[in-house]
Amino acid sequence: MAAEIQTFYDVMRAQGTSRRSFLKFCSLTAAALGLEPIYASKIAHAMETKPRIPVLWMHGLECTCCSESFIRSGHPLAKDVILKMISLDYDDTLMAAAGAQAEAILDEIPKRYKGEYILAVEGNPPLNEDGMYCIVGGKPFVEKLRAVAADAKAVIAWGACASWGCVQAARPNPTQATPIDKVITDKPVIKVPGCPPIAEVMTGVISYMITFDRLPELDGRGRPLMFYGQRIHDKCYRRPHFDAGEFVESWDDLGAREGYCLYKMGCRGPTTYNACSTIRWNGGVSFPIQAGHGCIGCSEDNFWDNGPFYHRLSHVGAGFGVEATADEIGGLAASAVAAGVVAHAGLSAAKHLRKNRHDDHPSPNRKTDDGERS
Amino acid sequence: MTTITTPNGFTIDNSGKRMVVDPITRIEGHLRCEVNLDQNNVIRNAVSSGTMWRGLEVILKGRDPRDAWAFCERICGVCTGIHALASVRAVEDALGIKIPENANSIRNLMEATQWAQDHLVHFYHLHALDWVDVVSSLKADPKATSDLAQSISPWPNSSPGYFRDVQSKLKKFVDSGQLGPFMNGYWGNPAYLLPPEANLMAVSHYLEALDFQREIVKIHTVFGGKNPHPNWLVGGMACAINVDGPLAAGAPVNMVQLNLVSSIIDRTIAFIDQVYIPDLMAIASVYKTWTYGRGLAGQNVMSYGDFPLHANEFSEQNLLIPRGAIVDGKLDAVFDVDLRDPSQVQEFVDHSWYRYPDEAAGLHPWAGITDPNFVLGPATVGTKTDIKQLDEDAKYSFIKAPRWQGHAMEVGPLSRFTIGYAKGIADFKEPVDKMLTDLGLPIDALFTTLGRTAARGLEASWAAHKMRLFFDQLMSNLRAGDLATASTEKWEPATWPKEAKGIGHVEAPRGSLGHWIHIKDQKIEAYQAVVPTTWNGSPRDPSGNIGAFEAALLHTPLAEATQPLEILRTLHSFDPCLACATHVLAQDGGELVRIQVR
Amino acid sequence: MLDRTESIDVDESSAPISAPVYVYEVPVRLWHWTTAAVFFVLCVTGFLIGDPVWPQFIGQPYDHFLMGEIRLVHFVSGYILALAMLVRIYWAFVGNRYSREIFFPKLWSPAWRQQFVKTIRWYFLIESESGREIGHNSLAQITMFMMFVVGVIFEIITGFALYGEASGYGSWSYTLFSRWVVPLFGTGQEVHTWHRLGMWYLVIFMIVHVYMVIREDIMSRQTMLSTMINGWRYFKDRGQ
Repeated sequence: MAAEIQTFYDVMRAQGTSRRSFLKFCSLTAAALGLEPIYASKIAHAMETKPRIPVLWMHGLECTCCSESFIRSGHPLAKDVILKMISLDYDDTLMAAAGAQAEAILDEIPKRYKGEYILAVEGNPPLNEDGMYCIVGGKPFVEKLRAVAADAKAVIAWGACASWGCVQAARPNPTQATPIDKVITDKPVIKVPGCPPIAEVMTGVISYMITFDRLPELDGRGRPLMFYGQRIHDKCYRRPHFDAGEFVESWDDLGAREGYCLYKMGCRGPTTYNACSTIRWNGGVSFPIQAGHGCIGCSEDNFWDNGPFYHRLSHVGAGFGVEATADEIGGLAASAVAAGVVAHAGLSAAKHLRKNRHDDHPSPNRKTDDGERS
Repeated sequence: MTTITTPNGFTIDNSGKRMVVDPITRIEGHLRCEVNLDQNNVIRNAVSSGTMWRGLEVILKGRDPRDAWAFCERICGVCTGIHALASVRAVEDALGIKIPENANSIRNLMEATQWAQDHLVHFYHLHALDWVDVVSSLKADPKATSDLAQSISPWPNSSPGYFRDVQSKLKKFVDSGQLGPFMNGYWGNPAYLLPPEANLMAVSHYLEALDFQREIVKIHTVFGGKNPHPNWLVGGMACAINVDGPLAAGAPVNMVQLNLVSSIIDRTIAFIDQVYIPDLMAIASVYKTWTYGRGLAGQNVMSYGDFPLHANEFSEQNLLIPRGAIVDGKLDAVFDVDLRDPSQVQEFVDHSWYRYPDEAAGLHPWAGITDPNFVLGPATVGTKTDIKQLDEDAKYSFIKAPRWQGHAMEVGPLSRFTIGYAKGIADFKEPVDKMLTDLGLPIDALFTTLGRTAARGLEASWAAHKMRLFFDQLMSNLRAGDLATASTEKWEPATWPKEAKGIGHVEAPRGSLGHWIHIKDQKIEAYQAVVPTTWNGSPRDPSGNIGAFEAALLHTPLAEATQPLEILRTLHSFDPCLACATHVLAQDGGELVRIQVR
Repeated sequence: MLDRTESIDVDESSAPISAPVYVYEVPVRLWHWTTAAVFFVLCVTGFLIGDPVWPQFIGQPYDHFLMGEIRLVHFVSGYILALAMLVRIYWAFVGNRYSREIFFPKLWSPAWRQQFVKTIRWYFLIESESGREIGHNSLAQITMFMMFVVGVIFEIITGFALYGEASGYGSWSYTLFSRWVVPLFGTGQEVHTWHRLGMWYLVIFMIVHVYMVIREDIMSRQTMLSTMINGWRYFKDRGQ
């Protein structure tokens, strides 16, 4: 079987792609990745010499938005990723086989391609109830996940679920949904967060790994720096309005119609690392801020519990019972302290005056004071 | 037990050989199916089990109602946006918020976009491989394929060269030995009936549709900023419109974006009418002899109604998709559906992995309880963490069993078309009659697996044409000088009543979806959603009624005893969405952590 | 270096202390007033950054740079606060014995604890006379440490972590602060929340601090306000 495995180039040639088109594809890929032209030849070389890497794409607790996003990729097209770049041997959402025939693939590929395949995970495992809040083939998903991860070359955590936990892990996290890097601890886990991640970011990460045969450079939290190295705010087209102090004050007001900054409507762009304001969505058509709604911070850890989404200041412990911003809490505490100070000052003044009077005109009360002192 | 007849009229026999299909793939989420096959490989008993639970609505308790849509939207990323729409409607209903006409047109347009795209992706990428043999297409004659394609559609990608190219790419792909998503498929199974040429045409369109579906959703990107999971807003839409103002270029919706939307609508109509519908008809003309999968279709069907032509009005007259319920196959009597009536929609859990104080009774969603209770029945084969066979006489699914007036109901495109047909509405009656005439089939042929698939296609076409209607409505409103997209009168929580209850209903691509909200002290007190796959995929109820999935699988013969092709075909005809079906809510989040296993 | 043998500055004897003591050296006083000034600026600008309360103004962004200016002032003030704090910490090592009180409350000393109780009694208006303190009393020391020192350092660390996010990956503040502070709190949004809570913590400190200074200036046996101006502590006691 292994002898039949062909390189990307073989496949592309076999599919009727000319050498010239192939090289053009490589230079476009290089450009899409923001690389210098010289890399085009490197890409071409890589594609001429490597078989398509098997990818096993597993689903835990999720909503399948990552898969849906993946197939939205415009360059490369999802079709080309699946047919030319990788070998998507397992993916619940797209695969033809089901039941025993699907399970067989999960057994076979890790053996046949030990240490050579990529595990991509969408969603996360719940740990409560012995993992049985997510059952695949009669067994807990977490068990399958660990088994398939054991011999993987690398692990990709698609989306906020696999990376951070996302919505099912928001307080009180009834199923104990757990990010995959807490379960797979002996492998590099590349986090591609977002709810979902941008399609071209997903295919960009995959093409980078395949083309260069190495993991992308990651930040301290496991995110590829090429796409998650900067906040949305930093390259937002509405940033000049932020610096000017021109904000949308209420929905559909003049500022909303003229594209003012959505900061006061709760936009999380200033605290969200993602490429929405640069790569944009669905082939560059728009992105949430451009479409008039603030960013909700969907690529950030714990963003569900940093609401409400329409307040610039998060509630401290949203969903936890404490429904107040730092200003509400701090303002209340400061007022209470100020009130205490005023009361104390009043009492102190009274005592001070009385003491002065006592000092000038000793009275029987003085004895009481002395009594207290002793 | 050997043979019993359920109150809703199905005969179940659990003797024979048990076949387990887990995972059911090409769906959203995690579904398990077990069937009993007799010696002729005919299904005599079917058990469908939702095998995931996320507890989403528990998480909503105590949050800002204006944020709820974003949480709900993440119930499902395939029918993305639908739950968000139900949620904003529920909050607006509770708080008495009226949205502007433009927001109504935009929401309808986004929903119709979702229908068109979701149905297209379902047909080609989740369902087609149940009808289409990819490997057989390698044997096709490209010239004959071209003749076939050109005889049924004016779609331009139809030359012999085009099909030869696709075929040769496919051949080399198969020859590479790395079959990717086609690995271990059921190629060559006798249940595949299409000639190689039709297979090749369908495979070509599988790839074309994969490319095209990403265009359709750009409408969501214009109005909601991204897809999947565009942004919505309580009170309207956040996408302010600026057509000719000085800073229009930086506005969410300007002339350029509107032109993009318009162009996508044209292309969507063309693709669906010239590719999807002809392919569907080609498949139907061959498979019309495969008449299995009736189940509850044509018997107990329901629709909540949707697409209000004008804003804030959910009366029957204003809804383009009709509301109603048909019981016991009486097409001449369509009952009205009232989601506020505590006796109409009720959920049961005696066969679901949840606990009620009294499990013989059902609860209306406003009074709903969800207290997970993962216990396996005594006849279970295997252990708690390695289930070989479920015991369907006990609890066996994370899906609850919703009932309408005590009846198990089927929902979805076929149900909507059935109700529209029964009501004699031209939008639904005409295309159905035309399709049946073209295929030479009686109306009864509609109530099958194939009928469900066909209705979905007709509905995709309906939705695509309605996208044009909603866009035109939006444009004529803009021409009249109305630019409003959001109502902010009741945006501030201080303007809300101390306590309020609301419902939001939507016809999702997969069927009837309702959200029930209870707001108290400016926060969510309780939230409950009953979704399409909860209806269709429901387990048994205390009286023994079986749900639509199980009913539809009965009496279907398998061509190959080890290959669940026909099971997939029928289950996929419902377009199951398990993340939707098994999200459920507890009134009291604290209850959730008390879980016992016996 | 720190003199660990020094005694608590408390005079429980009835012997009169009439001679003034030089308590706050020049760097301490300079630091105090600089910090007070930038603290005020930081609070106002910080408050506005988190909640820009001004009404919407209209026009091309070219015409305004209000938010940018407020942020600039906040960042400059933040640098000053942090540098001043560094100098102040340095001075705790090389300055006089009073310069380290707020950093090292001597919780283990019985005299310190005794004075702590006495001061609380004094503030609860139970004691009729304040203690006689050259530097800070025990309660003041622990309050200065817990509320001021910890609060300011917390604000400096979280502040530079946020500044690092704005400066970007690879900037010194990102490398030194954001890299570990942000994951510690979860996300930048949470750091913002805590940074703001920290501001309120310091505002509360400031209210109490100013009140106590004025009150004690009037009611205690020693000077307060003038001490932080000229450095000398005078005693009002007639000497019994």
